[in-house]
Amino acid sequence: MNASASLESLPESLQAAFQELPNLHITETSPRRLKINLQADALPAFLELLKGRAGYIHLSAISCVDWDESNEFELVYHLWSYQVKTLVSAHILIPKKPGRYVSVHDIHTPAAFFERDIHEMFGLYFEGAPDQEPFILTEWYGPPPMLKSFDTEAYANDTWNWQDYQPKWLQEIEANGGSLVTQKEK
Amino acid sequence: MSQKVIPVTAEHNPDTDVACREIDKQERSLLGKVIDRFADHCRARSLFILHYCTGCGAIELPPTITSRFDSERLGIQPMVTPRQADILLITGYLSTKTLKRVILTYEQMQGPKYVIGMGSCTINGGMYWNSYATVKRLQEYLPVDLYIAGCMPRPEAIQQGFLQLIKQIDRGEGNAWQDYYRRYDQYLGNQQALFGPDWHTPTDVIAEAKHYNMLGEHTEGEHTALLEKFASAYVTNAKTNTALQYQE
Repeated sequence: MNASASLESLPESLQAAFQELPNLHITETSPRRLKINLQADALPAFLELLKGRAGYIHLSAISCVDWDESNEFELVYHLWSYQVKTLVSAHILIPKKPGRYVSVHDIHTPAAFFERDIHEMFGLYFEGAPDQEPFILTEWYGPPPMLKSFDTEAYANDTWNWQDYQPKWLQEIEANGGSLVTQKEK
Repeated sequence: MSQKVIPVTAEHNPDTDVACREIDKQERSLLGKVIDRFADHCRARSLFILHYCTGCGAIELPPTITSRFDSERLGIQPMVTPRQADILLITGYLSTKTLKRVILTYEQMQGPKYVIGMGSCTINGGMYWNSYATVKRLQEYLPVDLYIAGCMPRPEAIQQGFLQLIKQIDRGEGNAWQDYYRRYDQYLGNQQALFGPDWHTPTDVIAEAKHYNMLGEHTEGEHTALLEKFASAYVTNAKTNTALQYQE
């Protein structure tokens, strides 16, 4: 907890909330934007605390980052309070295997939507989420496509044929000894 | 789709009192050609477009249709339902998911129908060429009459494309829609490769092909055999009913 310096400038309700939980790593990325790194198992309590103490009722998004080298998913919960007016982004790391985490649907209802999306795009399973069925990719049989290990270009090459583009005007130009490449002036 | 055989000659139905003159085959085909030619000529001058606007090309359509470029001068107007439209205008990229909807829409349209692929995306995926979700060559899934290249094509280019389609229809060359019936097996095979082997639409395309007299060598095949396995009871029942009625 090396954030005591930046804590002083924060609103009181937020300061009080942060002091309840140990092992928070707080960084002020810019004015009224806080990046908070915490342990994955402390996140539900953290969300409850912010919701109860500082009016953080709005979960605007959950984003997911696939860290290929460390074999981890980073989940970022973006939270907003209409009283404190400071954006809090809570960062947690989840190991890719077994790739499971708890749903925070019971704390913030919109989380169900984001979790479903992340499950579809990254393959991370949320226990207790109301619905983990395919949402956008209903015609998809491949691996989760947003993973770094998924090669989208190779997939496109395997799945689709490319257009055979030989229009008449190009054939005419080539028949007369020309080409699409501009020739240098002599 | 009437399945009743209308008695034309006394030979077909001796009980009827309609005694028509037997039309000579050659004479009939010649007459048919003249009528078709005339119909094509008229049809080319009054076309309704159904625009499928999930791509960014939709933004070029309002000026094309309205007073600035005014495609009504060419006899082309927008239409809101597939059953009352002649042209299916695909304005931009199609993902696997939207392609499904496009096929459903296309099959609802009445023949003769024309498909215009607008923008580079329908041709080869355009700027989404390496995307896992964007369909690359539209003509593998639907018979396309005309592509308008560009990212996005300006209204002038779209008008030019319209004019070209009008010319094609007028000359009796806008027959890509017949290809869907004649080579349905191939189109269906490509669709199944994307959507899975249980893909089927509510439209009984093979029965339609029979009705239009366009049953080709490649209308039925290994892919349409799968259709019978997975298609809904509605479609299969209709099929057996048709088979029963045609049996003599």
